[in-house]
Amino acid sequence: MRRHLPGLLLVAPALAIILFLFVVPLVGAFVGAFQTNAGFGFGNFVKTYQLYSRDIVFTILIVALSAILTAAFSVAIGGYLTLGSNRLAIVLLRWLYRWPLFIPFIVVGQILRTFLAKNGLMNNIFVASGVVSPLHTFGMLDWRGVVIAFVWKQVPFVTLLLAGAMASLDRGTIEAARNLGASRLRILIEIVLPQAAPTLMVGLTLSIVTMMSVLSVPLMIASQSPTVITVDMAFRINAYGDYGVANALGLISLVLTGTVAWFYLRQTMREAAR
Amino acid sequence: MKKLILGTALAIVFGAGPVMAEQLTVITAGDQNMVDYVNNYLGPMFEKENPGTTVRAVGTGPGDAGSQKIIERLEAQKQANKDKWDVDVAVVHEKAAGDLVKDGLLKKYRADIATGKFVTRENADMALGTDVKGYVMPMFNSQTAIAYNPALVKNPPQSYDELVKWVKANPKQFGYNGIKGGMSGVAFVVGWMYAYGGDAKTLENGPYKKGESADWSKALAALKTFNQNVTMTPGNAGTLDMLARGEIAMGPVWVDMFYTWQANGQIPPDLKLVLPAPGMPGQPMHYVIPAKAEHPKLAEKFIALATSPEVQANGIVKKFNWYPGIDATKVEAKLDPKTWNKLFTDIKPKELAEYGKPFPIKPYFDGILEAYEKQVAN
Repeated sequence: MRRHLPGLLLVAPALAIILFLFVVPLVGAFVGAFQTNAGFGFGNFVKTYQLYSRDIVFTILIVALSAILTAAFSVAIGGYLTLGSNRLAIVLLRWLYRWPLFIPFIVVGQILRTFLAKNGLMNNIFVASGVVSPLHTFGMLDWRGVVIAFVWKQVPFVTLLLAGAMASLDRGTIEAARNLGASRLRILIEIVLPQAAPTLMVGLTLSIVTMMSVLSVPLMIASQSPTVITVDMAFRINAYGDYGVANALGLISLVLTGTVAWFYLRQTMREAAR
Repeated sequence: MKKLILGTALAIVFGAGPVMAEQLTVITAGDQNMVDYVNNYLGPMFEKENPGTTVRAVGTGPGDAGSQKIIERLEAQKQANKDKWDVDVAVVHEKAAGDLVKDGLLKKYRADIATGKFVTRENADMALGTDVKGYVMPMFNSQTAIAYNPALVKNPPQSYDELVKWVKANPKQFGYNGIKGGMSGVAFVVGWMYAYGGDAKTLENGPYKKGESADWSKALAALKTFNQNVTMTPGNAGTLDMLARGEIAMGPVWVDMFYTWQANGQIPPDLKLVLPAPGMPGQPMHYVIPAKAEHPKLAEKFIALATSPEVQANGIVKKFNWYPGIDATKVEAKLDPKTWNKLFTDIKPKELAEYGKPFPIKPYFDGILEAYEKQVAN
């Protein structure tokens, strides 16, 4: 015991901080989700279902669609950075794609709020350039705006991870496929992607957790119904001072992100066992 | 425990400093413009009239949350059994005024000041179901209304019924921000319930009967149908933005915000307002004096100045486009007709008196919002 003491003392402050700032509030929220005026029970969850079932489904769909689009764009950009032949295009792309990484979500929400509106900047440019007539413009300040904001913000993050993984692959496999006459698209799908897939999964898992927790973007772009869980949580507290249902909603998003994390963990365990 | 910590913290912060005999502390909920109003306008005027005194304004933040902080601050000092509280004048929302009176945190002072007799509106006596008569002086009244673009709407709807017909004929041209994007949308929904949700008088004044919500299902089902032809806007400012860009032709807004934006050129000058029957809600903000204020006499003097017809005319109406807190006819006499008429260009005093409603009493208010979430949004 005495031998371990210095080590334990060294760890203690960090452990205490995690315990007090993370574990205790988490347990508090967990317990709070089951606390109602009538004692412990599932009252908050019944109410959550009655009031927000549609928003929960909406959140899942929004995040799933955003994750799929993020994956598609990231693979495309990462693939071109790895396999592209035009040096200038690669340099430009590499320089450009990281920009959104440095822009906070709230700013993205604020930019898109005026950009995507029916008579906003985007449509005005389209109309001015004669692509569409003013009668055929439509605003995207709803679920589409939220998806655009999420994808716009998360693609650089996933690409950063993915491009790194692709760059560190054994070039030999790529060269071999190329020598045998495979097209670049085929090399990307059959050679590069399978090897970089675990990294892609990590990026997407982290992105999903991030997207589940963003309040600012849906608040700025689409806070009406249907909306995402975070907006409902904020409304529950601000309008009614009702922490019970807010905690229940939080627990539900935790279950959703937990499921994603579980799939990811199972996958990596399998890979490790191999 | 929380209150104990808060109390201790307050005691350290305010007990340690030197106590100046004549410093008047004004604490105000609301946006920064409220603090500016006291610091830049009322304060200097009061200091000039009362040499030797200084006015210190503290803001606690917008919305009911800001008022809630004031309640907690006074409550903490009450719990700590302090003889003198560190707040002389507080400016709070309607809901908080009721809570403060119920908790015995306020001084009854209206009868003691000269301007007390200028108070005419009912909402200065009842605050969302709580009797606050004598404890509050209204600083201003704000009101929601429907803003519209006369180029697109030749005959603006004069009632909710006409609005429903108009929306049916002009789908997606009316926009509001639901109930999660700010109070103008909430006010529109409350107006809808006053029109279709049964007895509006009971909603406004109580008494609260549990189970009333059963009568709301028809009104809310109609609202859900109505919503299908409506554009949802992102927030109070979002509605004004969409009006400005011509994406919608009509939408509910706060009247003071509308005029301020118009004065700043953020929305076109030709937009107009209409207050449809049976009415839409608005709310006052109130001046109150804590029960154990350190300088109660000075506080009364300050509020008497702030609610005098001159200050109500030049500060509240002219500078901020709010409706006066005291009797409007007294304020009108102090203003040139042009400024006064600007406030009543679209909504006449008679309409305001008839269709300017209070928000429902708290249990109904929360009930309406929750029923909306359940039936209309989900």
